[in-house]
Amino acid sequence: MSIVARLEESRLRPEQELAALLEQARQDGAVVSFVGVARPTSKTGASVDQLVLDHHPTLTLQSLQEVAVSAAEHFDVTHVRVVHRCGKVPSGEPIVFAGAASAHRRAAFDAADYLMDRLKTDAVFWKREIGEAGSEWIEPTDADYSDRDRWG
Amino acid sequence: MKVLFYGQLADMIASELEVNSPAGCSVSQLRKRLAAEYPLAEQTLRSKRARTCVGDQLVNDDHVLSALDTVEFLPPVSGG
Repeated sequence: MSIVARLEESRLRPEQELAALLEQARQDGAVVSFVGVARPTSKTGASVDQLVLDHHPTLTLQSLQEVAVSAAEHFDVTHVRVVHRCGKVPSGEPIVFAGAASAHRRAAFDAADYLMDRLKTDAVFWKREIGEAGSEWIEPTDADYSDRDRWG
Repeated sequence: MKVLFYGQLADMIASELEVNSPAGCSVSQLRKRLAAEYPLAEQTLRSKRARTCVGDQLVNDDHVLSALDTVEFLPPVSGG
């Protein structure tokens, strides 16, 4: 079992994270990964140049670690990897990598799904979009909270 | 005491404030006072999803503060 939870201040390289997870999972039968990308448009359709993720000096990494450990406890997985950007992320660049490995596919799919639902509402970041419409803070939606709550 | 704000609260109030609070002041009383002084931030300060930390530990509304505490007000968080 391995758990990786990391805060990335420079460009996130999903291909490197997936390669590392695959290397760790050589004895497993399944690897599932998700990459979240900064959108080029806001909910209202205005163009967005960058997403800025403010973070807390200690609580942010703690929250990533807590979510990753919780995924490992909830599902029959062998490896969990969460890497999250902070700072300024230009539109089109990766924000988050969430991956899990397991002996059989279902646990890895569920763990990756769980990781993202938890990160959306519990990872300690404050996000704002900067673009055509100025600067706008982004909070989780009701759907995000419902997605998290379905895991109990 | 030192009070730190993050996210939209930092935008609406400041990243950091020095507040003179009476002995025995609770988190709830401090929040009420800040909401009165910064009406634009009232809704976010009172959000049920906002959190308050002292010494990197989450505390509830009736937590009693001391003059030496650093209090952090965290608006609703969002990752991913």
